[in-house]
Amino acid sequence: MQRRFPLSKIAGYLFVIISSLIMFVPFLTTIFNSLKTYKQYMQFPPEWLPDPVKWSNYTQVWEQANFSSYTMNSVIVAVLSVVGTLLSSSMVAFAFARLRFPFRDTLFMIVLGTMMIPGIVTIIPQFIIFKNLGLLDSLAPLWILEWLGQPFAIFLMRQAFLSIPKDYEEAAKLDGCNPLQIYWKVFLPMCKPSLATLAVFTFMGKWNEILAPIIYLISEEHFTLPIGILSLRGQYKTDDQLLVAGALISLIPILIVFLFAEKYFVEGSKTSGLK
Amino acid sequence: MKKRRLLSTIGILGLLTAVLFTGCSSQPSITEGGQLELFLGYSSDPPTKKKMEEIIAKFQTSHPNIKIKTETAPYEDFYQKLTTQIAAGTAPDIWQSDGTKVFGFAQRGAIRDITDYVTKEINKDEVNGLEFNKDADGKYWGVPQGIQVGALFYNKDLFDKAGVSYPTADWTWDDLKAAAAKLTLDANGQNADDPAFDKNSVKQFGFTFFGSSRGAFNILKAYGGGVLDPTMTKSIIDSPENKKAVEWMADGMKRRLFPNPADLKAFQSNFKVFLSGASAMQIDIYAATTAMNGAELNYDVAPLPKGPDGKRFAPVIANSWVINKKANEQKVRAAQEWITYWTTSDEAQVEWTQVGEAIPVKKSVANSDKFLTNNTKPENKKVFLDSLAFAGTIDTNAVFAEWVKVFTDNLSELFMDKYGVEEYIAKTDQGIQKVLDDFFKK
Repeated sequence: MQRRFPLSKIAGYLFVIISSLIMFVPFLTTIFNSLKTYKQYMQFPPEWLPDPVKWSNYTQVWEQANFSSYTMNSVIVAVLSVVGTLLSSSMVAFAFARLRFPFRDTLFMIVLGTMMIPGIVTIIPQFIIFKNLGLLDSLAPLWILEWLGQPFAIFLMRQAFLSIPKDYEEAAKLDGCNPLQIYWKVFLPMCKPSLATLAVFTFMGKWNEILAPIIYLISEEHFTLPIGILSLRGQYKTDDQLLVAGALISLIPILIVFLFAEKYFVEGSKTSGLK
Repeated sequence: MKKRRLLSTIGILGLLTAVLFTGCSSQPSITEGGQLELFLGYSSDPPTKKKMEEIIAKFQTSHPNIKIKTETAPYEDFYQKLTTQIAAGTAPDIWQSDGTKVFGFAQRGAIRDITDYVTKEINKDEVNGLEFNKDADGKYWGVPQGIQVGALFYNKDLFDKAGVSYPTADWTWDDLKAAAAKLTLDANGQNADDPAFDKNSVKQFGFTFFGSSRGAFNILKAYGGGVLDPTMTKSIIDSPENKKAVEWMADGMKRRLFPNPADLKAFQSNFKVFLSGASAMQIDIYAATTAMNGAELNYDVAPLPKGPDGKRFAPVIANSWVINKKANEQKVRAAQEWITYWTTSDEAQVEWTQVGEAIPVKKSVANSDKFLTNNTKPENKKVFLDSLAFAGTIDTNAVFAEWVKVFTDNLSELFMDKYGVEEYIAKTDQGIQKVLDDFFKK
């Protein structure tokens, strides 16, 4: 008779349970830290459990970091950036992957080369450009660049497009599709997992972005959430427990986006339509 | 069908873009009501921001011709933003500058020389710290917004437990070290004077110092040494006085009376050692009282100890209002009105004192109950005012952050036993001189 729980299976489960606990403990510690008083947060060696449990940290951070007014700005920036990145970068990537034109590979290398330039170096020139465009102190500088193609996104999507067999392209051509239609009707739907990955990356990046909003925004009506949370930091005293609570609240939208995109990660294989 | 959806999506995005683009044009300097708009920047956290807004509202009531538009962010972000804005020519007309950055802005041509205004309109007898913004040529570059002075903070509970008497104004740095030995405890509760003391399991340190205003600089000065000469362009690290002071520090580190850089890292934040009650004493500035009161510490302050020859030194940082060099005359006048209001009106000074972040710049308010109140700790707040008598800047110049980095990085290596005192002195002297020459000789 075969054993219902072979040893290897038990060992496998144990391994998974232990590793997930190891992953979960820092997260749990963060939750506990968000419920401490400043005094308890400052204790060393630190105590794990909050005592007393200060739920009011969450209401306090909600008010002090202006969550209700800054969330909308963050949503606008993140959503426009995601849409912009997905559209512009996938279009450029399609050209690099599937179209033939002079200097195609050289241009692609130049695009990749821009990834080597540290962002901090381009801040002042970019700031001056946005100043001349009259876009300072508006949300535009935070998302407009995403509509002009992002090198990493182009690279990711190009790889995805390259992995699609040429047969699809030819079949579409036979059916009378022009390149734009092939891109929109055939290639994009087949690259949903890559698009989902890119969407999650872009959303996370923009949702948590700090430097650009700090540099470009002046009026509070335009502030995004990370500025709200970071404004709790003081030069001489920072209520770290409030910062942690704020960070946890701002994590929720990222979780939602991730859960939404997750199904695409495991969705069917791209080559299933081939014989 | 799908094509129509795509087109409508693009259409909506276009509309959104148009909506977001409107209202982005730069602000004119005269508002619709005929007021002059003054663009003012300051770094803040929630309590200081709230208070600053209240003071600005009061200023606008008494100065109906001026409307203040503000820009604020937490300390580091504020300066990051400001640096970009200065480069692009969009910096505020007036901003609150960290005291250590005033000469940096001045020597890079970002702020205005306000010597005329200061000498004619600010009464030196009424305002604290004006001289700290005067350069070697006698020019004034800023007017203090709030004063920070260093003192010796001590945890009364730890002193009581160890049966050691509290620090006094007569203490020398050697007295401090003797007390620190009694207050340094290992895991078994033995103090550092005990032969059974285990250096590898220190649970409580006697004395903490780190950084510039809270650090070794003050000890060098009390020993008669220092880092830069009065012109702020030459390193004077290589001196017998400095050597003695550095030996004093290195000895304390070896005996484990002071937390070394590795110990400080283990606490995640340098400040946490004292705040968590794991250190009996620390050099700190007045602003530290807000965190200490938040952590409900039972503490007080004493003047920083004397050097072997009786010399005293307390570090001072005069955070100041500075005016943008590019501001036009109208705005400069408005900015000066703001500075005069800030430094001379009881209203602004009393309000700002309540934040508890800085010593008031107006002497009459600093010497009143408003500042010396017993409602908040420390009890002995007068120590800060008394320390102004022997206070000096921490050799702030245009490359302050750069030389401090060389100074403290090398010190960390010395404290971690990477090299000895002589090598430290030689290496640091050379390193700091290079930083100075790179800026001043090019």
